[in-house]
Amino acid sequence: MRTVEVSHVAKRFGETQAVADVSFAVEPGEIFGLLGPNGAGKTTTIRMMLDIFKPDAGTVSIFGGKLDLAKKRRIGYMPEDRGLYKDLKLEPTLVYLATLKGLDKKTARSRLGEWLERLDLAEHRQKKVQELSRGMQQKAQIIATLLHDPDLIVADEPFAGLDPVNTRLVKQILEEQRQAGKSILMSTHQMYQVEALCDRIILIDEGRTVLYGAVDEIKRSFAGNAVVVEGQGDFTHISGVLETRKHDDTWHLTLEIGTDPQDVFRTLAARENIKIERFELEEPSLDDIFINVVQNGAAKLAALPREGRHA
Amino acid sequence: MRNFWLVAKHEYRRTVLRRAFVLVTLAIPLAMVAFIALAILVAIMGENNLPVGYVDNAGILNVTRQPLAAMPTGIEIRAFLDEEAALAALEDKEIHAFFVFPSDYPSTLQTDLYYLEKPPSNDVWRDFSSFVRANLVATYPDDLRNRLFEGPNITVWDIVSNREFSESSIINVVMPFVASFFFFVATMSASGYMLQVVATEKENRTIEIMITSVTPGQLIGGKTVGLLAAALTQLSIYVIVVVIGLTVAAPHVKVLQYITVPWAYLGVMALFFFPSYALNAAVMVAVGGAVTKVREGQSVAGILNLFFLLPLLLLTVIFENPAAPVLVFLTLFPTTAFMTISLRWGLGTVPLWQIGVSWIMLIATTIFMVWAAARIFRAGMLRYGQPLNLKAAVAAIRGD
Repeated sequence: MRTVEVSHVAKRFGETQAVADVSFAVEPGEIFGLLGPNGAGKTTTIRMMLDIFKPDAGTVSIFGGKLDLAKKRRIGYMPEDRGLYKDLKLEPTLVYLATLKGLDKKTARSRLGEWLERLDLAEHRQKKVQELSRGMQQKAQIIATLLHDPDLIVADEPFAGLDPVNTRLVKQILEEQRQAGKSILMSTHQMYQVEALCDRIILIDEGRTVLYGAVDEIKRSFAGNAVVVEGQGDFTHISGVLETRKHDDTWHLTLEIGTDPQDVFRTLAARENIKIERFELEEPSLDDIFINVVQNGAAKLAALPREGRHA
Repeated sequence: MRNFWLVAKHEYRRTVLRRAFVLVTLAIPLAMVAFIALAILVAIMGENNLPVGYVDNAGILNVTRQPLAAMPTGIEIRAFLDEEAALAALEDKEIHAFFVFPSDYPSTLQTDLYYLEKPPSNDVWRDFSSFVRANLVATYPDDLRNRLFEGPNITVWDIVSNREFSESSIINVVMPFVASFFFFVATMSASGYMLQVVATEKENRTIEIMITSVTPGQLIGGKTVGLLAAALTQLSIYVIVVVIGLTVAAPHVKVLQYITVPWAYLGVMALFFFPSYALNAAVMVAVGGAVTKVREGQSVAGILNLFFLLPLLLLTVIFENPAAPVLVFLTLFPTTAFMTISLRWGLGTVPLWQIGVSWIMLIATTIFMVWAAARIFRAGMLRYGQPLNLKAAVAAIRGD
């Protein structure tokens, strides 16, 4: 049984079509990335999934059916940035939220002690939430999400405001949750985190699915859309190249969708004052793929490799 | 139901532990205690327990006897043969003051009062007056004497409400005004807090966490009950302090001794308080759900609260004619029913049919408003960054 199944959901707010057509599924024991530029419809999709919004069209299935109170207790939701009572003390707030998810107070307190120790918040348990730093508030939010041991974790920007040490700690926690068979849906703009953590992703743009599948497969399907060049001369302003970056003595060229690397090679070879010492296809990063797909828009999606396109 | 009570309990604790709530709850009783203490202190400091004398040149107090009624001050009243003797006693501070009844007193009804620094207190005046009256009627038969001594006490019975209005129960007229004020403070502070809670939780997204744990009905219902319990706590503290205050002050302040518990008033007000509170809370939930910022909500709530407080602006009408048509209308109008009935109660009568119709309309409106507020709250949640305008709110209520 799939943990989440979202099928062709759509949502309009007045004149704005926030989500036009989005479908995806999240399996048990996987970390699933929900990606897209700002305003793409990610948060609206999450809210429809969690029954905060009713979709205008399409269906949502959680744990094999409609979301009810018993299923809500199996979900841990971490909204972006905020979501805790600022004027209350940390410990009672987290215990209260956990009891609403079905835990009794004693169990909640016992588990909370462990989490506070692990996330280095134990000495701040009697402080008001607003007295904590942004990073501490983020860690408190993570505890609120996980304290009742949910089967589905929905995290919107889980690494926001965290320093590298805590980022590594949270990544480790998410890995543990995956290994424990939990489903994790994660929305973030940090593509390197997605690459490091996610099994599969969906990329939404302008309310529609533009990429959907396993991370490895998507990256493979986009190989050839970037090349690495070493040599002497100017490698900028090349026709068919979307972005040019130079790192040390190596040039990384991101090609526009549909551009043949051989054409780029021929163009470079034809230039005067250029000496090519190395020219090879590069497996693109998710960052490159994200920029490529979003900046080129849907018009060029026809050129995408078939397996990387949303069916 | 578990989550409902968890939310209610949480909201109650959160409310009563707020600094503003504690201040408002304690400030009024403390002010009252201070006021009563001051009044008692002034009374005690102002008391002079020396005897009061009199010189009877008119020969009207030949038969000296104790007054028929008990004298609260218990001060000795001493007779002097002439003014020189009385003056000497006054200068020697044997007496506090003395009255002289001139020989033409029966025709002029004028007396002269002599004192050194401070005139006798009102209670001493009252006691001496009783003493004189008792002696003036002393020669009459017992039944007539008692009747003449006590004088008239007019009691008005209202046959519609079966209520009694008498001279001595003036304090019972004032009580509904005081009680209205307490109810007003409790309701407005709780409803204002409700608005703040809903709008703030929506603004900072706490509501998203909550709504993935509880149903909107549990959330709003639990908050309402929690705040209602907080309001009742505040009221209970006020009532306890008032009762203790009156008990302590009554021996020193005579008018307080006539107070009787207005059970009928309290019963009617209890019937109206709960639905009125729920109606106000529902309006605040609707406003909080519709706006995007707390400040916007406070502006809108300020205007809507006028619909609840309108009777306070018509106090002069209530004093002049408690049965004026506009007040009958406000009695029947759900948002103003509670306050209007409370204020009219002190000055006149409210016909039973008006109370009955008003209560039914209040209950019906409250049920509708709670239902509509849940819909508006739900619709408002869909619009982050955009307030829900009136048209959209109506559409949400209609389920469009």
